[in-house]
Amino acid sequence: MNSSSSSSMGGEGRHDDDSGLTEFLSSLMDYTPTIPDELVEHYLGKSGFHCPDLRLTRLVSVATQKFMLEVANDALQHCKARQAAPVKDKSKQPKDKRLVLTMEDLSKSLQEYGVNLKHQEYFADSPSTGMDPASREE
Amino acid sequence: MSDGRKKSGRGQQISSKKSRLSGGDDFGHAIAKIAVAQLCESAGFHYSRRSAIDALVEVAVRSICDLGKSANFYANLAGRTDCNVFDVIQGIQDLDSWRGFSGASGVHRCLVNTGVVREITQFVSTEEEIPFVQPIPRFPVSRMPKPAPSFAQAGGEPPGEHIPDWLPRLPDPHTYVHTPVWNKRDTDAKANMVELAKRRRKAERSFLSLQQRFACNSTAGFRPTKDGQVGNGNQVVNDNPFLASPLPYGEKEVCEIASPLKAYAGKSLSVLETFVPVIKAAKVGSLDFNTNERKLLHGIRPTVHFKVGTVKKSVAASLPSDTLIADKDSWFLKYNEKDDKKKRAEFIFRTELGKTKCRHQLRSRSKLLFFLISGVIIKQVAE
Repeated sequence: MNSSSSSSMGGEGRHDDDSGLTEFLSSLMDYTPTIPDELVEHYLGKSGFHCPDLRLTRLVSVATQKFMLEVANDALQHCKARQAAPVKDKSKQPKDKRLVLTMEDLSKSLQEYGVNLKHQEYFADSPSTGMDPASREE
Repeated sequence: MSDGRKKSGRGQQISSKKSRLSGGDDFGHAIAKIAVAQLCESAGFHYSRRSAIDALVEVAVRSICDLGKSANFYANLAGRTDCNVFDVIQGIQDLDSWRGFSGASGVHRCLVNTGVVREITQFVSTEEEIPFVQPIPRFPVSRMPKPAPSFAQAGGEPPGEHIPDWLPRLPDPHTYVHTPVWNKRDTDAKANMVELAKRRRKAERSFLSLQQRFACNSTAGFRPTKDGQVGNGNQVVNDNPFLASPLPYGEKEVCEIASPLKAYAGKSLSVLETFVPVIKAAKVGSLDFNTNERKLLHGIRPTVHFKVGTVKKSVAASLPSDTLIADKDSWFLKYNEKDDKKKRAEFIFRTELGKTKCRHQLRSRSKLLFFLISGVIIKQVAE
């Protein structure tokens, strides 16, 4: 704790901090995160995190959920941008309403967060698969 | 996963995880998959690719683990083993440090006023709750090993005054005392079966050696081996007659084999009759017949009457009977039909007989089969 500096402010600063902390933690308890507590506790236990307080577990799960939602929203933006830009045929329009989470969008959005995700586009039998017949003869 | 589908009402292309790459943490991964799918749905996606969901699950699990590790690290740095809220906040700051948080650089301010807390508070207040669809039990379930019962629990008195009764019970004496083991005799039926099998094998071996003898009658230096297995062509011999160079035509006089079936064409056969001359010739040989079968060698028996029964009978008593069993099938069927070998022999016998009726000359293979069949049947008669 930053006792040396907050002591200069006196007890009031500490009170604010404490009240802010309790408020924060109590607001956490009201919110039920999507990621269940048992799952988070399991993985935290695996990594050495030891705390019997449930509020901290909730804090971790809320933070992770926030991160996931940001990634998903970014991927959604990418998907919508890809659908809106080229208007090729009119037959494709009914398909536009389908929003599918693909590896392409996901890797683009995760790149911004520092996660390098590369997906194999296709698996080829030989190096010359898919090439033009003219160049293949060479 | 199906509950997530039901909730959305739209078709979600998320199926259960089939790959086994996670190695032991399948349950956690499955739960995380459901949670991530719910998150994607709340973000606005209608569908999703399986691989994308898998990747997202990996990212989520990794982020939870990393957050736990860094929080633990900060707690250890402060000399504690249990984590604090400030350790967690600092861990969150570490995770998203590339983006930067307002107030992260402030050393003299409380961490509660940093951007992390503010963002989370904002998130909690604005975002609507999406609770997990199913209640899940605590996992992993740890099984406590059952401790040994104490003296008091087992109900016995400890052997000495110096031993308190809350200590675990002493092990049973049979676990550490070596006592002599008496050889129990097996039941009669089992011994009988074993003996039967042994005798059958012996007879088959001897018939095989007999056949080898006959096949290579003129070849000098050929020694039949006792190792030859029934039906198995592998033989270990010094001079393999099959590897010898073939004789030119006419060099050697080969006697014609009189088919015994010729005489009995139209009539059904008694196998024993067929082999009576064979048996007589082999009387001198090194056949390992038991005492019962030696009686077969005395003279020609015109008919054979086989009786089915578990009681051991001597062949001599059963042989002099005038009734000729006309039906070959009933003769076979009178035996215990559960005998696999007999069934096989019957099948082979029938096929071979069918073949030989057209031909005048018995092939050596069919001869061998005849010997085997008769040996098997004779053995059964003897016991």
